[in-house]
Amino acid sequence: MTDSPLSSLGAKVVVASSSDENHPPENIIDGNTNTFWMSTGMFPQEFIIRFAEPTNLSSLTVDSYNVKHLKVEKNMSQNASQFEFVTEKDCEHTEGHLQSNSVSLNGGSAVHLRFIITTGHDHFVSVHRVGVQH
Amino acid sequence: MVKLRARCLLVGDAAVGKSALSHVFHSDGTLFQKNYSMTTGVELLLKCVNIPETNDSVELYIIDSAGKETLVEACEKMWGEPSLLCLVFDLTSEQSFANCSRWMERVRAHSRGLHVPGVLVGNKSDLSPRREVEASVAQEWAQSQGLEYHETSAREMENCDAPLLSLARAFQSLYRERQEAIQNLSPG
Ligand SMILES: Nc1nc2c(ncn2[C@@H]2O[C@H](COP(=O)(O)OP(=O)(O)O)[C@@H](O)[C@H]2O)c(=O)[nH]1
Ligand SMILES: [Mg+2]
Repeated sequence: MTDSPLSSLGAKVVVASSSDENHPPENIIDGNTNTFWMSTGMFPQEFIIRFAEPTNLSSLTVDSYNVKHLKVEKNMSQNASQFEFVTEKDCEHTEGHLQSNSVSLNGGSAVHLRFIITTGHDHFVSVHRVGVQH
Repeated sequence: MVKLRARCLLVGDAAVGKSALSHVFHSDGTLFQKNYSMTTGVELLLKCVNIPETNDSVELYIIDSAGKETLVEACEKMWGEPSLLCLVFDLTSEQSFANCSRWMERVRAHSRGLHVPGVLVGNKSDLSPRREVEASVAQEWAQSQGLEYHETSAREMENCDAPLLSLARAFQSLYRERQEAIQNLSPG
């Protein structure tokens, strides 16, 4: 809750597998859990966040809804390709309120973070905020 | 404006006209595959449906699976997690209609408890003298299963757009419904 929005640190969402103009991927990094990016059908779904510069990360928080399985990858390259696996997580279903999951990144730095939602608890999932702890 | 994506299972007994229908879907009614070839696995067809009076569209990934009993298991592995269902029977075959409930069970077993909107399609409406299934009976069963009922003729390209539009609309309204629910969530 204390960290500043990723967008204010120059981060961008450079890839998202779904687009609804009312719920754009920028909503993931605006620091606000009231705004969200929503998937528009089928799995897997993914999005990639790019930091302005190599960034040291100890952990992440992901606020979402109906995500069932999340995989996180990263790279140190200027290109959004050739990712290395970081971690994966099963996320419990929450009824009527957001899922808030923290994901440990065991330190190390990254230029890109790739989030792959391999499956959901429903046909559609939403991601409301990704925050990082350094 | 939003482009939705749905994995649509096309199922039903062998020879009811699934492949014929999917080719009509695919070609916007300009082509009917006249040569019968027993489908041997799973065929994937991509069809984009624009929803009239909105800027929304649904990309349907139609999965045509073989109806042959021996191939069913191999096909089911390819079903994945369905978003939509198109269940087809032959209006001139009482048996193909009777088997629809088994197809429903199979699909349910793949849908992880999620609601999968769908349509029931009675095909070969051009063969009316040989009809064995009454529209009212099919309609009633469809309703009991939460499916919308349509009759088509892949041969005459009659009414083949209706089931697709109905699937697209059903998926769009599911999306809108979920979106509204998410908008009303409280923070974690
Ligand atoms: N009269 C008539 N024949 C059809 C129709 N649709 C398909 N057929 C025929 O029924 C047979 C089986 O069709 P096919 O699409 O291969 O069935 P599938 O096994 O369910 O995929 C073929 O000989 C088709 O030409 C239709 O609407 N009317
Ligand atoms: Mg076939």
